[in-house]
Amino acid sequence: MGFSRLAAAMTALFASAAACASGDRTFERQVPAQAHGVVDISNVSGKVVVSGSDRPEVSVRAELGEGVERVDVSTDHGRTTIKVVLPHSGHGGDADLHVKIPKDSELTVSAVSADVTTAGVTGVQRLNTVSGDIAAELGGSDLELKSVSGNVKLKGHGQPARLHVSTVSGDVHLEHGAGDLEAGTVSGTLVLSLDSARSVRARSTSGDVHFEGKLARGADFDATSVSGELNVRASAEAGYAYEVSTFSGDISNCFNATPGEHGHMPGHTLQGTRGDGAGHMHLKTMSGDVQLCDRK
Amino acid sequence: MSGTGSADERRVGSLRELSPAVEPPRDLWPQIEARINAERRSAPAAQPRPARARPLPPRWLAAAAVVASVAVGVWIGRSLLPAARPGVQSPISAARATLAGAPTALDVAYVSDRRYQRDRAALMKSLQARLAALPQPARAKVMASLAAMQRAKQDLESALGKDPGNALLQELLVNTYQDEMRVLTDVQASDAGRGI
Repeated sequence: MGFSRLAAAMTALFASAAACASGDRTFERQVPAQAHGVVDISNVSGKVVVSGSDRPEVSVRAELGEGVERVDVSTDHGRTTIKVVLPHSGHGGDADLHVKIPKDSELTVSAVSADVTTAGVTGVQRLNTVSGDIAAELGGSDLELKSVSGNVKLKGHGQPARLHVSTVSGDVHLEHGAGDLEAGTVSGTLVLSLDSARSVRARSTSGDVHFEGKLARGADFDATSVSGELNVRASAEAGYAYEVSTFSGDISNCFNATPGEHGHMPGHTLQGTRGDGAGHMHLKTMSGDVQLCDRK
Repeated sequence: MSGTGSADERRVGSLRELSPAVEPPRDLWPQIEARINAERRSAPAAQPRPARARPLPPRWLAAAAVVASVAVGVWIGRSLLPAARPGVQSPISAARATLAGAPTALDVAYVSDRRYQRDRAALMKSLQARLAALPQPARAKVMASLAAMQRAKQDLESALGKDPGNALLQELLVNTYQDEMRVLTDVQASDAGRGI
């Protein structure tokens, strides 16, 4: 037992010494905040982890790597700003930010290569990165998300919201979304799963689009790609009228409908109605294959 | 009901609401016919009617439009887009040069808007600096995406060359142009201190 305690103390001492030697510093601060206030966070490199809490305060804990000057935390008229400041000259280092905010706050995070994670935030979220990955929990409020090359993972709880997600090359994975979705990518893959969708607009240039979910009565579904595949498995409360068009891709479906030709022009189309036809589905590609199924 | 109308006046929402028994106050056709005949008499009768020009086949019209568009496109490419420097190129400038390649016919149709031309030229000008500022893995991915968009545009334009009236291809091409502007704008906004 005595030896174990000694070993634990030695380990802690060694870890502290290593942290000091590497130049890492810690920063902690709490400021009072409004329950429905605004929180802005910016960090270039490292990570940003945000969690919602019931406490009316913003709590910041940060590990600052070498090359990070400081962390500024300010509050003004319900807006709390947390900013990792880098020196004017030379390259900055990593900063790992762990921030607790009132759960109903309106959250904005801007990062370059820092990874961003949010959980338990029920207010509006605006998350932007250049190359950092984003993992966010959807809390029933709107989400605006942009990333250039970062990958995106979103997990909802089936609460309807307006979700607007775009990447250049990053992949997007959405689980248990609901409401209105607008997703776009150039070369990333969109994997979208919605429990109940009112409207879906998905667009890609060369990336594949996979959708699985249920469409609400009268929902609109619109997916286009130039060379990416569209794979849609959508059931609907009251069915939908579908129109699939492709210039040189193949069309397949799980309900044995036969694609037609575009008259004398090249291309294929598939049109028809499933169920009562209350919703509308449009799928369009140039060379990407299209698969449509009315079952999840 | 408008505020100036009397109580008896009401708006007619459909032709079906009009009574079929209402006759026009007078028949205007005899006067119109008389005027047409008078004009015919006053025109020189001896002149033979010129042979009606045969309409050009649509494929010739399309070909002429493509040639004209390409000419304008080349002019825009030379005067607006930054030219690639001769000699050895970095990967970034090579990608930039690829993006700035001579546009084809449909480019021109889309870029005829002046504001679009101006904004795109400005974004292309700063693209190299922005790409250089990105972290290396991100830069490689963004360049691959820009190349994918360039390929998509070329494929769409090539397909449209075979089928110029194809609405699906036109829509996808316009989408691709819009996506390119979105990407260029996002890359432009990816300031090292701000994110996007």
